Formats: sequence, structure tokens, C-alpha cells
Amino acid sequence: MFFFRIVMMSLRGLQTNLMRSLLAMLGVIIGVSAVVSAMSILSGAQKEIAERFESMGADQMIIATGSGRRQARHVSFDALKPEDADALIASCPLIIAAAPEFQNIAQVKHLQKNKQTQLLATTEAYSSMNDYQPAEGRFITREDDRAERKYCVLGYEIAGDLFGNLSAVGKRVKIDGQGFTVIGVMEKKGFLGFRQVDSQVIIPLSTGLKKLFGVKFVTMITAQAKDQELLDAAILQAKRSLRAEHRIRAGTPDDFQVFTREQAKEQVADFTQIFEIVLYSIAGISLVVGAIGIMNIMLVSVTERTREIGVRIAVGARRRDILTQFLLEAMVISCIGGIVGVVVGAAFADLLEQWTRILHTFTPPSAVLLALFMAAGVGIVSGIYPAIRAYNLDPVEALRYE
Amino acid sequence: MTVPKADDPTGLPVSAPNIVASPAGRSMIRVRGMTRVYRMGDATVHALSGVDLDIEAGEYVSITGQSGSGKSTFMHLLGCLDRPTAGTYELNGQLVTRMTDAEQARIRNKNIGFVFQTFNLINRTKAIDNVAIPLIYARERRTRDRAMKALEIVGLKHRWNHKPSEISGGERQRVAIARAIVNEPSIVLADEPTGNLDSRTGEQILDIFDRLNAAGTTIILVTHEMSVAARARRLIHMADGRIDADAPVTDALRTELLQSAVLGAAHFEGHVLTSSAAGIKNKKN
Repeated sequence: MFFFRIVMMSLRGLQTNLMRSLLAMLGVIIGVSAVVSAMSILSGAQKEIAERFESMGADQMIIATGSGRRQARHVSFDALKPEDADALIASCPLIIAAAPEFQNIAQVKHLQKNKQTQLLATTEAYSSMNDYQPAEGRFITREDDRAERKYCVLGYEIAGDLFGNLSAVGKRVKIDGQGFTVIGVMEKKGFLGFRQVDSQVIIPLSTGLKKLFGVKFVTMITAQAKDQELLDAAILQAKRSLRAEHRIRAGTPDDFQVFTREQAKEQVADFTQIFEIVLYSIAGISLVVGAIGIMNIMLVSVTERTREIGVRIAVGARRRDILTQFLLEAMVISCIGGIVGVVVGAAFADLLEQWTRILHTFTPPSAVLLALFMAAGVGIVSGIYPAIRAYNLDPVEALRYE
Repeated sequence: MTVPKADDPTGLPVSAPNIVASPAGRSMIRVRGMTRVYRMGDATVHALSGVDLDIEAGEYVSITGQSGSGKSTFMHLLGCLDRPTAGTYELNGQLVTRMTDAEQARIRNKNIGFVFQTFNLINRTKAIDNVAIPLIYARERRTRDRAMKALEIVGLKHRWNHKPSEISGGERQRVAIARAIVNEPSIVLADEPTGNLDSRTGEQILDIFDRLNAAGTTIILVTHEMSVAARARRLIHMADGRIDADAPVTDALRTELLQSAVLGAAHFEGHVLTSSAAGIKNKKN
């Protein structure tokens, strides 16, 4: 009851000095909203990333160039060859499928419609391994690849963009100026791993390497193990096979790296943790600034109300009551700032989601709790010094104060 | 318990104060050798040098003296706002000088009501909230009714919803008195309560003190105005940190005081008192 009255009293005080109180709160509002929006974005991203990982098979490995170690600078980016995929199937009994991929950005044109989009050069295995099927027409075959045919399969969205409601199959499109025939349109899928495949155009691997990109390597190979349980053994086989294929001598590091869904998850987790630390540091700094702002206002308030403090002591306030009052007042300021900050932060994250349409945000209850705890902490830290000043006032002097 | 007073023009009820029975033979206020020394840089200032004083429950005492005579210091000490450098202070048989800060706060809250020259109301809150402040520190639950009752005693019930800036000086002082008496203290300490008011408004304030005193509250009033001092029933004069005169206000003394007030109190103050009170000075010793 006593605390409630004191809080009501300070609320009334804040009301009379509305502008000043708002300015004092500003730092906390900014700090808390930074924390809340950062946490919303991060946990939204983490949720999203987790979902994308689910779309990547647990029985798959990804082989990419580079050793994954920083010191291996001699490793070239063109170490992975399209033939490596065949070699994996041939020499690794535990690997049942492998899809080499080369990815680029390309300009796709049909009549007046022009789109810049993801171009993926791959093989037949890509469709079956990812359980990603054409909705219309057919996917690329081994034969298309061997003959380097200028065929393409459109993602669900890009087909709609270029052809509207009309059937795209059999139509001609230009990819980076070269004519291709559309042989299929894929089903609506959304994301496969981290790629938004609905706006992707797929062409046969050898057609892409020779006729469009003019290179003799691939960016990665996705390989599928016989069984999820056998993935680790399959990775060992794949490594041995690729070292032999690339003629790597014993003692020399790999010129490729193999990772699984679980490892990729960990890497992303490490990355988001760094991101988190940076965001929290920024939020921490703004909260410190906020605390200084409140402390400043509270010091002014204690000085201004010196006489009032004297009167309160004269009518029976204990020094501890005075301490409590000013401490609570600082906490009221910072907690209101905290609540406003939570609302602003959540709203900001929501707006970001609407503006970008890529970012998915999610404000976890833990973020709200953490933010309010921090606000209360800021209140205590910023209020304690002014409150002690008030506590130490001599009532006789305070009553004489002009 | 309420004590209506017949000759009171407002006819308002006055609450009986919290009078705690003193141990037999002991005065309500018993001050012995009270000394207060301030250290200002290298110099030491003896604001109060060994004051002895007894005040019984229900007395109406005014303390006069020129500025620097120690009367304000003495009042702060009586009000437990300050601690003496030496000497003892007993209130209702309790040794106040030995109390902790929190215990003294309780004394200020329950047994003493302060009225100041400059009212010292909190400007951003309504009259009723100002009156309720001592109740809050007393951890009272139902503050509104009691604050309202205190406002009724000073005749300001209708102004409860006004802020101090919206009412006159006299009304502000009445709110301040309501605040002082809301916890029904046994003593009201008033420091120049009419100093910032015109004489007619001042009279109204003094009327309230009369009524409070008639209902049993001990009034200790610090003033340098002789006309105000003349309202009391006992007059104490201080000079150089000592009590140099202590006399009951007889009709003769009252006339003399009022005359001196008309002629100019500042000039006559010390002279009139010492001459009048010479015969009865130190009668207690």
C-alpha cells in the first residue's frame, strides 16, 4: 500500500513534468526497443533458419570447395569438377545419389518481360534428391545434359512472372541472350535449403558450364547417403574418393569441405551468436546512456525538491522513505520507458517484416521479460545516487532551501 | 472525540489530540541543558547554550527573540528535526535524544505537527493530498476521510480539490495546519505562521490555534511579532541562545505587548519583555 502510494505520487510528479520525463525516458526507450527488435529479428531469423534446415535432407552432405580452414589459402575455387559427382557414385557404395550444382544470376526474357533471377545448372538427381518435382512438363534428364541441350525448367513463380496464366511448356525464353526451350514448370516449393527455388531457373549442368558460364568446375555437390544412420560413414567414403580423384598426397589437406545439416546448423548458430553479441552491446550502450539520462533528471529533481524533502521529513518521513521514494521514481520512469520500448521495438520489428517481406520476425516473451528486467535495473542504477543524495539531506537545511 | 467550542464562530469540531499521559511529576516536554553548536569552517557558533525548559500538556507558548537568538534552532530541536550537541530532551517521558532516526521520524509523524511561515505545501498536488502526506508515512490505509476531516477543522473542506496555486495565502496556511493536525498530534510547532499573511488573515490562523489549544493541543509558536505572541498564555523570550525571560501572559503583559506591536515591535521587543518579566523571571529555579 505504501509503495503503491509512492508510485502514484511519482506518476503524478511525472505528469506535471511531462516533457522532461519523456526526455529522461528516451534513452531507455531506445535501448529497450533496440533489444526487443534485435531479439525479434534474431529469433525470427533463427526460426526461419531452423525451418530451412528441415527442408534440407538429414541424410545429405554438401561438398563445397575450400578446406574450411583459414590457413589453406592455396586451395582454388575451381577444385570441384562435374565428374566428381559420378566418381562419388561409382566409388562410394554408401552414396546413392549426387547432384553437382553451379549457380549464377541471369537475365531471363520472354517477349517484353524481363527478369533477373537465380540460374541453377544441375543434373537429373537434383529433382529426386530434394523431392522437388515438375508440376507441368518434365525435369532435365541425363540425356539433356549429355547433349548439352538448351532446355530449361522454370520455378513456379518465375513461370508466372513471365507467362502469367498461360502454359510455359514448349515456349522459348532467352537466358543471358541465348535461346532456351521451356520443358517444364516446377511445383510450388518455397525454400530448399537457403535457396528460394520458386523464382529459380534450372538448366542442364553441361549446357550451363560450356555455353553460358564458360567454366569447368562446379560450386558444390549435394550427395545423398543410403541411410541417415550411415551418413558419417558415407562422408568418410566421399572424402577418400575425392582425395583420390583430386590426386591429393597424404599429409596435404583436402581442397574441398564436406558438411552436413547438423554442422551447418552449428555454424549458423555460431554466426548468430556473434550477431547477438554485437546487438546486445549496442543495446547495452544505449541503456547506459538511458541510465545517465534518468540519473541526470533525478539529480535535478532532488535539487529542485529539496524543500519538499525537508517537509516530508518534518511530517514524519523516515530517511529510508525518502530513499525509497526517489528510487521508486527513477524506476517508474525507466519502467514506463521499458514498456514503451517493448511496444516500439515489437512494432518496429513488425514494420521491418512488412517492408522487407523477406525478414520474418518473432517477439519472444523472454525478450519482453528481459527488456523489462533491464529497464528496472536501469532504474535502480540511475536512481540510487540521486536517492542517496536526497537521503543525506539535512532536514533543517532542506527546509531553509530557496 | 470531538470538542465543539461554544464561542467559536465557525462552530467547527476540533479533534482531541493524542495525549499520552506523562509519568507523574514529569512535564510533557522536559529540556535540560540543551546545547547546539554549529561548526562553520573554523568558527563555532553556539546557537543554543544550555537551555532548560518544561512545557506541560495543553499549554500555549510563544517563543520570541531577535533573529539569531536561537529560537528557530530550539524549535527544530523540539521538533526532532535536529539533534542537540549536548543536553537531554524528554517528550512524554521518553528520552528523545537517545532515539534512532526512525523512532524520531515516528515522533514527528504522530506527536508533532509543523506549521511553517512559507506554508511548504507541495504545489503539484491537491489540498487533500497535501494533508494526507503524514498519513501516508504513518502507513495509514484510509487517508481520504481523515484528511477531509482535518480540512473540515480548518474550515477548508470545500477547497479539498484545489491545488495550492489556486487558493489564497491564508487558505494555504490553513491547508498546512490541516496537514499538521491530521495525525492528531499532541504538539503543534508553528514557525512564524502569520509571517507571510496580512493581519486579518493572520487573525484567522491564530483563531484556529486558539481552538486547537482549547481542545487540548499544546501549541508552541515561534514569532517576532508581539501581537502574535500576545495570543499565547505563556511567553518565552530568547537571546544569545538562552532563555532570558519566561512568563505567563497576564492581561497587563498582553496590553504592553500589543502596545509595543503598534509602536514597532522590532525596537521594543527585548526591552518591553525584560522589564515586564523581570519580576517573574527564573521563577522555576
